[in-house]
Amino acid sequence: MGEAHRFPLRIVDGLRLEKPMRDALLPGRVLYDDGGQPRTLPRYFYEIPSWEHALNVQLSTNFALWEFIQTDVREAAPLRTFPRYVPCAVTLLALALERFRAGAGTFVHIAANGGYRSPRHAINTNATTHSWGSAVNIYRIGDVFLDDRQAIDRYAALARQTIPGGFTREYGSARGATDDHLHIDLGYVLSVPHDAPADHLGFGSERRAS
Amino acid sequence: MPAPTLQRHDTPAPTKLDALHHRLDALERSAGARNIAVAVYDTATHGSFRRHADRWFHAASTIKVAILLGVYASIHHGWLLPRSRLHVRNRFFSAADGEPFRVAADRDANAEVHAATGKMMRVSELALHMIATSSNLATNLLLDLVGLETVQRSLDELGIDGIDVRRGVEDERAFEHGINNRVTADGLVQLLRTIAEGRAFSDELSQEMLAILHAQEFKNGIPARLPRAVRVAHKTGEISTVAHDAGVVYPPGRAPYVIAILTEWAPEAAGRSATIAEVSHAVYELLTGTEELVDG
Repeated sequence: MGEAHRFPLRIVDGLRLEKPMRDALLPGRVLYDDGGQPRTLPRYFYEIPSWEHALNVQLSTNFALWEFIQTDVREAAPLRTFPRYVPCAVTLLALALERFRAGAGTFVHIAANGGYRSPRHAINTNATTHSWGSAVNIYRIGDVFLDDRQAIDRYAALARQTIPGGFTREYGSARGATDDHLHIDLGYVLSVPHDAPADHLGFGSERRAS
Repeated sequence: MPAPTLQRHDTPAPTKLDALHHRLDALERSAGARNIAVAVYDTATHGSFRRHADRWFHAASTIKVAILLGVYASIHHGWLLPRSRLHVRNRFFSAADGEPFRVAADRDANAEVHAATGKMMRVSELALHMIATSSNLATNLLLDLVGLETVQRSLDELGIDGIDVRRGVEDERAFEHGINNRVTADGLVQLLRTIAEGRAFSDELSQEMLAILHAQEFKNGIPARLPRAVRVAHKTGEISTVAHDAGVVYPPGRAPYVIAILTEWAPEAAGRSATIAEVSHAVYELLTGTEELVDG
């Protein structure tokens, strides 16, 4: 691939970040999901130097990076300023969403707090795939707000059809269900691009987790 | 009718206070109100007027002033900044049973916050909408963020009693279970006085809260029959059986006074705002000493 086509964001090893950021990202640490299964958090992240970068980095034809990093005051403090970090799996998520958007045939709007959330985000419970950068909450598609069963069921079916292996939460108000957005995720994806620091295989936490 | 309360004898003369009590008695009868409670504190003289001022009422939207205090307590403690951004999400949990509920857009006076659903708004914007246009959605978002405990603890730490914060707004199941926010006229006057006197955390934060209260867009109550030059920083509140207004009144060339007017009505009763405006006018006359008061 020529230099002109290189991905514009630097990849960093989360274990080498400053302690406040490590404490927010918990790179390579294990969280437990709702079923009690251990899940290893991402260790490699794209570094986003500024909001301008987030606005300008296009992850797919119709999705830019900024759409995946909109978090509110409940996000961990280090991630409310720049540089910020997002797991490398976010590029795979954008590609999957592009397929979904093609099926929907219109704009797909990701909610605030509906893209990447660090493990320290105050609204998280257990291991949420949002902390893997592999999940989105969609609150609106075209002019349709996804806040009733009909709309959520309709687009959940489209997501399962257009994203092989993709997961959607059921409509409802119980824990694990949603009634004011559509949740789509790719699972607990760990992405290690070629540009990731070369010594990652030698680090214990990831080897133990594999 | 309770006896007139006069805490200082240099303001206004007891006969004028008696006249005000009689006037309010007559107004309560003629308007068909079930109850009219009034508390006034005059910062110029430190005198006060009280009529049923310790009677509890459903707070309606006047509780939003207490929530504003809780938001600024969080800012004071460094937990929030006015520019902090918050996800606008219309999903809350009932204080009665924990079940989710939403604020119906057609029952909310403010459409702007609803239009931001899914996006983010700044805490300062939400606080302004909560007070100036009485946005119920902004109210619940802010209360969810800072928590009931923060609001009630802030009131307690400032020595304000007569305000009981138990839930957000538009929580129908809580209403059916009798879980309601309550206020007394005394409580609201204490709260507004704390803000007006710059004692709510700091003078700077108090001024910011006052600026928000000055932006009030519903002016059919306290300000309605006052001279145009009079500025009022206030918050209204109304549900089927109550209508209130509480604020700080700034007559030109005179120190401000703090007033809370709480009224209770039959659900079908009309003339609520006009009654509040009449009470406000009567108090203004008393405290500014116009001829009309003497004649009345």
